[in-house]
Amino acid sequence: MPYAAEISRANPTCFIFLIDQSGSMADSFGMEGAGRKADFVADVVNRTLHDIVIRCTKTEEIRNYYHVAILGYGGSVQSALSGPLAGKQIVPVSEVAETPARLDVRSKKVPDGAGGLVEQQVRFPVWVDAQSNGGTPMCEALRQAKRLIEQWVSEHRNGFPPTVLHLTDGESTDGDPASIGKEILSLSTNDGATLVLNCHVSSHASSKMEYPAEASSLPDDFARTLFNISSCLPESFRKAAEQIGVKVQEGSRGFVFNGDPTSVVQFFEIGTRPANLR
Amino acid sequence: MKSEYVLDAWHFLLPKEGSSTSECEDAVAENTRARRFAIADGATEGFDSRAWARLLVGRWLRIDPPAISAEDFQPLVRFLGLGLHERWNGKTLPWYAEEKAKHGSFAAFLGIQFFIQQNQLSWKAIALGDCCLVHQRGSEICAAFPISDSEDFGSNPVLVPSLGWLQEKAFAELKVLEGTAEEGDEFLLLSDAIAAWYLRNTDDSEHERGKLRSLLRRREREELEQFVRSSRHLGAMRNDDVAALRIAAVRS
Repeated sequence: MPYAAEISRANPTCFIFLIDQSGSMADSFGMEGAGRKADFVADVVNRTLHDIVIRCTKTEEIRNYYHVAILGYGGSVQSALSGPLAGKQIVPVSEVAETPARLDVRSKKVPDGAGGLVEQQVRFPVWVDAQSNGGTPMCEALRQAKRLIEQWVSEHRNGFPPTVLHLTDGESTDGDPASIGKEILSLSTNDGATLVLNCHVSSHASSKMEYPAEASSLPDDFARTLFNISSCLPESFRKAAEQIGVKVQEGSRGFVFNGDPTSVVQFFEIGTRPANLR
Repeated sequence: MKSEYVLDAWHFLLPKEGSSTSECEDAVAENTRARRFAIADGATEGFDSRAWARLLVGRWLRIDPPAISAEDFQPLVRFLGLGLHERWNGKTLPWYAEEKAKHGSFAAFLGIQFFIQQNQLSWKAIALGDCCLVHQRGSEICAAFPISDSEDFGSNPVLVPSLGWLQEKAFAELKVLEGTAEEGDEFLLLSDAIAAWYLRNTDDSEHERGKLRSLLRRREREELEQFVRSSRHLGAMRNDDVAALRIAAVRS
């Protein structure tokens, strides 16, 4: 049965974040009060990295259940990690934990124990800074991701396959991503094919489509292209979606079109929750 | 006139494959003289769950009167949780450990107290989570508590939290069961992976259960390790920490 491999220190899995950092990411989400997409996405990616690190924390030790790569694409295609990890491609989660670019302090509302909420100052580690410039070289970004995945799967034949979490706000400016996307989907370990999840976010208030099982209701060719290079969600991912109130069904693809800020948060939550952690 | 009941107990712990003994988050405590036994399973995703599991069983065994009602169990857990968090607060931790500590620890817990009155043996057990008590008479399972169906394991059970503000809600799920026992009865306290394996209903499950009980009775630690490892490799048992405590009711 695919996607059943245990995730452990001896048998880790891999997350590859592919983040659109093109000029249009400086626009807002297209709703009142919404900030820049680039800022919001950078926050969500940092929060996701934080959660991944916390999940691997055992008392004072970090267990390397995950390897992580973050590629940004816009003016260029490169690792989006800042600080001591700048330029690094795939890093074990312990290294992520030990070397954030900086620790910001933010306010967070936490339960006060008496049914209310109280504001608390919390440390917010930052690994990725918001960027927005240039075009949308999606094909080149996918090519770089493919190279990383080829190397990783050759070294981890029995691992839970890599998960690619791709976020974009527009169409590719360097060609059709369909064929390179398919090539990535064909890379596998003994536990199954690489999982590719695509989240498209919109600068306009448009009706969003989340995790569809068929392409017939999608509005245009670009949406259908992304649908076709999105994996069917394995059961554990569907369960993770259901747990946070997202409607999915058997055959649902890891695909969001015209997503809003909530979709982005849920997308990273669902995509980084493979079961079988040991 | 019949002689007194004596409880004969022995336990076995094995970490999940790929982990060392010092990383095992299951915990067992036994006090044959007080006729009191407990098992706990620290949650993988909690902070310092091994310490929380060990603290729960260790202190539950020592408190008098025994905390076998929800009313007595709750203040004990509150007190222990506060102590655990105070201990962490006094340490300088890296940012991720400090963050994780804020989420607290969680553990499944099951404790059983035996009573002898007028030469009758009875018991009362308290549980929160998916550690399981099996009351066995020969090849018959008289009771499995708090879970009796193998399919019901692995569905995010409510566990004992170390954080005070999470405890109220969790305590609503506390379960208590009592019963009587006869000479020759066996009681198994099992953490979830081995309990799910024990309670499954397959063609050879009774035979396999008998084999496990026999190994526990004979205290064959090495053979038990082999047995569990082979069940894991066959996919019959989930690769998780294993704790199994066997208590037999015998006459002295």
